[in-house]
Amino acid sequence: MLYEFFIFEIKYRLRRPETYFFFLLLFLFSAVGVEFVFQGIDLGLVKKNSPLVIAKTMGAITGLSMIIASMIMGVPVLRDFQYDVTSLIYVNPISKKNYLLGRFLGSLVVLLFIFSGLLWGMMLGEFIPWNNPNEFLPFQFINYLQPFIWVVLPTLFFGAAVFFTTGALSKNLMVVYTQGVVIFVLFMITKGITNETFQALLDPFSLTTLTKATKGWTVMDRNSLLIPMSGIMLLNKLFWIGLGILALSFGYIKFQLMVINERAVNKKQKQKVKPLVITFTKSLPTVTPVFHIKAQFVQLLLNAWFHSLSILKLISFWAIILCCFIVILVNSVSLGTSYGVDSYPTTYFIIEELREMSIYFFMIILVFYSGEIIWKEKDVKLNLIHDATPLSSFVNMSSRFLGLLFVYAIVMLSLIVAGVLFQTLNGYYRYELDVYFFGFFLELFPFLALYTFAAMFFQALTGNKFVGMLATIAFAIINVAVGVFGFEHTLLNFGGHSLASYSDMNGYGHFLNAYLWVKIYWVLFGLLLLIFASVLMVKGTETGLSKRWTSGLKQTGKSLRIFCLLCLMLFISIGAYIFYNTNVLNEFWTKGEQDNFRAGYEKTLKQFEYIPQPKITAIKLKVELFPSQRAYHIIGYYIVTNTSPLPIREIHVQKLMESNVELTDVTFDRSVTTNNKYKKYHYTIYQLSQPLAPGDTMKMNFKQTLEPRGFETNNADIDVVYNGTFFDNAVLPSFDYQKKYEMQDEDNRNDFELAPRLQKAKRDDVRELVNARSGSDSDGINLDIVISTESPQTALTSGDLVAKWNADGRNYFHYKTNQRIINFYPIVSGQYEVMRDSSIPLGNTSNKPVDLEIYYQKGHEYNLKRMMESMKMSLDYYSKHFSPYQYKQLRIVEFPRYRTFAQSLPGIIPFSEAIGFVMDIDDEKDVDMAFYVTAHEVAHQWWGLQLEAANVQGQNMILETLAQYSAIMVLKEKYLNNKVQQFLKFQLDEYTEANLKSSKKELPLALVENEEHIYYNKGAIAMYELQKQIGEKNVNEALQHFLNDWHSFNNPKKPNRYATTLNLIQYFREVAPNSKKHVITDLFEHVNSIE
Amino acid sequence: MENLIITDLSKTYNNGVKALHKVSLQIPVGMFGLLGPNGAGKSTLMRTIATLQEADSGSIQLGNLNILENKNELKKVLGYLPQQFGVYPALSAEMLLNHLAVLKGIINRKERKEMIQNLLDKVNLYEVRKQKLGEFSGGMKQRFGIAQALLNNPKLLIVDEPTAGLDPVERNRFYNLLSQVSEHTIVILSTHIVDDVKELCPRMAIINKGKVIIQGNPSQIIETLQGRVYEKTIQKNELEQYKNEYQVISDRLYLGNQIVHVISDIHPGSTFKLIEANLEDVYMSQIFNS
Repeated sequence: MLYEFFIFEIKYRLRRPETYFFFLLLFLFSAVGVEFVFQGIDLGLVKKNSPLVIAKTMGAITGLSMIIASMIMGVPVLRDFQYDVTSLIYVNPISKKNYLLGRFLGSLVVLLFIFSGLLWGMMLGEFIPWNNPNEFLPFQFINYLQPFIWVVLPTLFFGAAVFFTTGALSKNLMVVYTQGVVIFVLFMITKGITNETFQALLDPFSLTTLTKATKGWTVMDRNSLLIPMSGIMLLNKLFWIGLGILALSFGYIKFQLMVINERAVNKKQKQKVKPLVITFTKSLPTVTPVFHIKAQFVQLLLNAWFHSLSILKLISFWAIILCCFIVILVNSVSLGTSYGVDSYPTTYFIIEELREMSIYFFMIILVFYSGEIIWKEKDVKLNLIHDATPLSSFVNMSSRFLGLLFVYAIVMLSLIVAGVLFQTLNGYYRYELDVYFFGFFLELFPFLALYTFAAMFFQALTGNKFVGMLATIAFAIINVAVGVFGFEHTLLNFGGHSLASYSDMNGYGHFLNAYLWVKIYWVLFGLLLLIFASVLMVKGTETGLSKRWTSGLKQTGKSLRIFCLLCLMLFISIGAYIFYNTNVLNEFWTKGEQDNFRAGYEKTLKQFEYIPQPKITAIKLKVELFPSQRAYHIIGYYIVTNTSPLPIREIHVQKLMESNVELTDVTFDRSVTTNNKYKKYHYTIYQLSQPLAPGDTMKMNFKQTLEPRGFETNNADIDVVYNGTFFDNAVLPSFDYQKKYEMQDEDNRNDFELAPRLQKAKRDDVRELVNARSGSDSDGINLDIVISTESPQTALTSGDLVAKWNADGRNYFHYKTNQRIINFYPIVSGQYEVMRDSSIPLGNTSNKPVDLEIYYQKGHEYNLKRMMESMKMSLDYYSKHFSPYQYKQLRIVEFPRYRTFAQSLPGIIPFSEAIGFVMDIDDEKDVDMAFYVTAHEVAHQWWGLQLEAANVQGQNMILETLAQYSAIMVLKEKYLNNKVQQFLKFQLDEYTEANLKSSKKELPLALVENEEHIYYNKGAIAMYELQKQIGEKNVNEALQHFLNDWHSFNNPKKPNRYATTLNLIQYFREVAPNSKKHVITDLFEHVNSIE
Repeated sequence: MENLIITDLSKTYNNGVKALHKVSLQIPVGMFGLLGPNGAGKSTLMRTIATLQEADSGSIQLGNLNILENKNELKKVLGYLPQQFGVYPALSAEMLLNHLAVLKGIINRKERKEMIQNLLDKVNLYEVRKQKLGEFSGGMKQRFGIAQALLNNPKLLIVDEPTAGLDPVERNRFYNLLSQVSEHTIVILSTHIVDDVKELCPRMAIINKGKVIIQGNPSQIIETLQGRVYEKTIQKNELEQYKNEYQVISDRLYLGNQIVHVISDIHPGSTFKLIEANLEDVYMSQIFNS
C-alpha cells in the first residue's frame, strides 16, 4: 500500500510538465549560480569552484528555490482536496501512515530529482567557455558532491518536511505559495541576530554557518578543504534535520483522514439577518445597462476597488506584510552607518532603508498577486459567468492593474507610518512627509507599476498563472542581466534608470526631469503591454494563443484601437525626444565605445606621458557659476615656467573629456601654430614660434565653459548642481598625457592588448619621484580667483577672501592666496548657514588668530560643535608638535551626498553631507567620528599640503597613514583610552574583512599602493603601535624633522624631488632606541599579521 | 422580437471529438428546450452561443446581430448560467451580485440595488443575502447562479442544466420565474430531464452526438409516435431476448418487474398493450435510432 502511494506520486509528477521545468530552471540558473550569488563580491584569491564557494552558492540557490520545494511538497495531500477526490480516496481502507508516508517519500524523490539540477548545473557552469581559467581550480567532482550532500540535502529535507506538513494541514494553496517565502524571511531575520553562534546555528541555509565554520581559514584552506562535518556545521545540520522530523511527526499526529475538517463545520453559524419589510415587484424591475466611456470609467474604478479589497482581505497578504515588518524591525536599527556610527534617522535614510528591505516583499506581492488577481475567477470557476459579461477586456485588465497599484500604495503608506513611528521612538521629530511621499511614490511606485504591466502581460500571454509568474521572474532577472551585457541605454532597458539619491542640500536636483521623462516613456510602453494583455487574455474556454489573438483582435473596439495608436505615437515621440536629449544634444557612450576610446587614447598618446612641459606657477581666474543652469564660464590664465633643462617647443593641452565642456581662446604671449591631429582625444599641441627657454616664463590664456544641453540619464553630472556645486581644478586644462583616462580593469586591458597598469610606480622611479600628484602640472602656485554665483549662494575656494560684493543679483567673492599652495583648490557654491569661531593655534609663532568657519546645510547642526572643537584641538596639536599652521583660515564646507568623502584642500575642507553632519553620536557607545574625521582632514593641511609625497609606492602611507596617526593623537587628548581602543578595534575589523576580499598579495605599508584597508586601517593600528613602543614624543619629533626637511614650500633644503617612505622611515629609525629599531621594520616593511 | 438563428454550426475539438456537426436551429422568443444525453454537445452549443467558445464554421444571428463577430454586443443582452460554476467563498451573495451587475453595465446605483434585492427575493435568498457564499449549500448556490443570469434583463437567457441540485419546491419556483421571464426573452434551457421540457417549452430540440435529431413543438413531435408505442411487463431475464426481437426504446423496473416500451408499426402481439406516447418515448426512440 505504501509502495502504491509512493509510486503513484512519482508517476503523477513525472507526467507533469512543471517537474521538468523546475529541473531545467535550477539547472540553467545554477550554471551561472556563482556569478549570480557572488556578483559584486571580490572573491580575491579564492577560486570560483572551491568547495566553500560552491557550498555557499548551493546554499543560497537552495534558499531562493525554497518556493519550488514548497510547490512540490505542499500539494500532495492538498491536491486531493483541490480536485475533490478525497471522498473517493479516504473511504477506502487505507492507513494514515501509508497514505502520508507514501505521498511524502514519493514527492521527496521527485524533489531530489529536481534539485539534482543544482548539482549538474553548477558542474556545467565550470565549463562555460567565457570563464577565466585563472579563477578556477582543476575540476573535482567531490568538490560539488560533498557540499550538495552536506549543505543542500539536510536543508531540503527540512523544507520538505515542513512544507508537506503545512500543506497537508492547512489545505490552502496560498499557504503553499507563501511558505517558501516565509522560510526565506526567517533566514533574513536570523541575519539580525548579533550572537554569531546563534546566528550560525539558526541559519536554515547554512550561509552564516559556513562563514563561521571557516572563519580562521587561509586562502589555501579555502581553495582545498571540503566543508567541515563537525562543530557548528554539524550542530546546524542536526538542528534543522531535527526540526524537520519534528514537523513530520506533528503533521502525522494532527492529520486525519477526514474529508471535512470539524472546526470549519462548527464555525458555520447562520448569520441572522433582520427581515426587512420591502415591497418586491411581481415582475423584475427594468435596468438600463450603459456602456459609454463614462460608464467604463466607473466600472474601472469600482472594479479596481473590488480587486484590491479582495487582496487586502487575504490572510496570505497580511502574512507577507507582517514578515516584511518583522524584517524591518530587526534590521532598521542601523541607519546610514558610516565608520561604525549610526546616523540620525533622517527621513531619506529611513526611506532608503525601508525601500531596500521592502523591495523584496513588493516583488513577492507583485509576482504572486498579479497571478492571483488575473486568475481569481478561473480559480473559483466563476470565469464563465464573468467572461459572459459585456465588460470591455481592457477595462477588465486595467482595473486589476489599478487594484494592484492600490495595494502597493496602501503598503507604502503603512511603511511611511512605520517610518514616522520609528523616528518618533528615536526622539527624532523632523518629519518630512513630502520627502517620504516622493521617496516612495516617485522612486519606488513607478518601478512597481512598470513591472506590474509586464506581469499582467506575461500572465495574459502564457495563459497560465504559474507559468506567468515564472515568466515574470525570469523577465526581471533577464532585465537586470541585459543591463550588464551592454543594453545600457535607458530607452532599451525596461523601466529605465533609477533616480539619483535624495539630498537635503539639492533635493532630487536636475536628475528629476530626465527621470520623469523616461518613466513616462516606459509607462506608455506599459500601457501598450496592457492593451496587448487585454487582447490576449483568455476569455471563455479558448486557450490556444493564436485563437486568443485573432478572436481578441476581433473584439477590440474602435476606441481601444485609437487609444493604442495614441499610446504608440506618444511612446515613439517621447522616446525620440529622450533620444534627442541623450544622444544628440549629449553624447551617449556604451561601455564598449568607452573602452575603445580609452584604449585608443592610451595607444596614441602614451608616448607623450613624460615629455617636458612647463610648470604652472600662478593662476588667475574669473569663475562665473550659474547653478540654476548647471553651467559655468571660466576665463583666466596660467603663468608657466620651464623648469626643465631643455627648451620647450610644444605645449600639449589636454581638455577635460566631458561633453558640453568647451575650451576656447587658448592663447600664449607669443604666436603658436595649432596642431589638431589628436582632436578626437581633446588633445591639442601648440607649437611655439619661439621656444620657451629653461627658466623662462610665459602666460597662457584660456576660456572654458560648461553649458549643459538637454538632459542625460546616467545621473553622472554632479559637479555643478542647483545647490551644492563642488569641483576642483582638475576640470581645467592640463598639460600632456593624463593617466586618469586609462582603462583600469586588467581583463579589459588584456583584451585590448594593453600592458598591465601599475597602480603606483616603483619607489625608485625617477620620473614619478618628481611628481607629487599623478600628471602634476605644478610644484606650487599663487592663486587669485573671483568667483561669482547666483544669490543667495555663497561661493568658496582656497585663499583669503579679500573682497565680496553683490551686483545684478549675483554674489561675487574675490579670493587670493598669501603664499604658495599646491595646485589643488576647489570651487564650491551653495546656500549655507555659517558657524564661525577663531583660535590661535598653540604652536603658531605669530599671534594672529585663524578664522574657523563651517558652512552647512540648515538642519544639519547636530555635530557642528564637535567639528569645531576638533578643528581647534587639531590645529593646536599639529602646530605644536609638527609645524605652525600655514593659512589664516580653515573652512569646512558641506556638499551633497552624491559623493561620500571629506577632502582637504588648502585652508578648506569640503565635507560630504552623508558623513559627519548627520551622525547620531552616542558618547556612551560610539566613537566621536565627526570629531575624528575632522581631525584627520585637518591633519592633511600638514600631510599633503605642507609636505607632499612622491607619486610612488608608499605615497599613501605618508599622506593618509600620517593623517590617521595625527588624528588618533588628537582623539586621545579629547577622549579616554577606551574610545581609542574601540576605534582601533574597528580599524582592525575593517582591515581583516577587506584583506580577505582582496585579490592582491598584501604589500607592506611602506610600499602600499591604493589599498585603503592598508593605508587607513592597518596604518592607524601600526602607527598607534609605533608610538606605544617608542613613545609619542619620539614619533612627533621624527615627524617634525621629516616635515622640516621635506616641506614643499620655502624650503631650500628640499632635494629636487618629493619624499618617499624610505625617507620617512629613516626619521623613525633615528628617534627609536636601538632595542626598538626592529619594531619599525616589522610594522612598515614587513607584511605581518596584526592582532 | 428577433429570433436566434443558428446555421450549420460545427465544432471539432483538438482531440478529434465532433462536439457539434452542422447544427441549425431557429429559436423564437419564449422557452426553448434542448434535450440530449450526457456528452451530446448541449454545453458546447450553449457556450458557443454565449460567445465563450469559438466555432469552426457556421453562423449565429440574433436578429441582425452576428454573434460570432460581435461578441461584446451579444454580451450586453446576455444572461448565462453555466452548468458548473463557483463563487468567491469570502463574499456575500449581495456583494457578488453587485460586482457582477457593475460588470454588466448597470452603473446606476439605485437601479442596481433595486434589481439585486428583487432578484434575491425571487430566488428566495433574500434572508441570507449577507451570508458568505462559501457557506451556501449546492441548491442555494444554484439559485444564486440563476439570480446573476437575470441581472441585466437579458434578451437572450442561456441556462445550462439549471435545476440540478434543486429540491422540488425550488424547482417549481425557478420554472415560474423562467416562464415569467420568457414572455419577452429567448430562453434556452438545456436539460436531460424530459419532464422539464414537456412542462415548460413551446419549442424544443433533441441533439445527440453533436447533431440535431429533431426540433419543433413537443406535442407535434409526440404526435409522430402516436399509435406506435407498446408496453409489456416481462421477466428480468427475458430482456436480452426482447431487445433482439423488438425495437425496444426503453426498459425500466417497476415493482421489481421489467417494463419495456417497444416501437412498432403493426401490433406486436396481444401480450403488448398500446399506450399513449409521451415525450420520453420520443426522446428514447430518437436516441436509440441515432
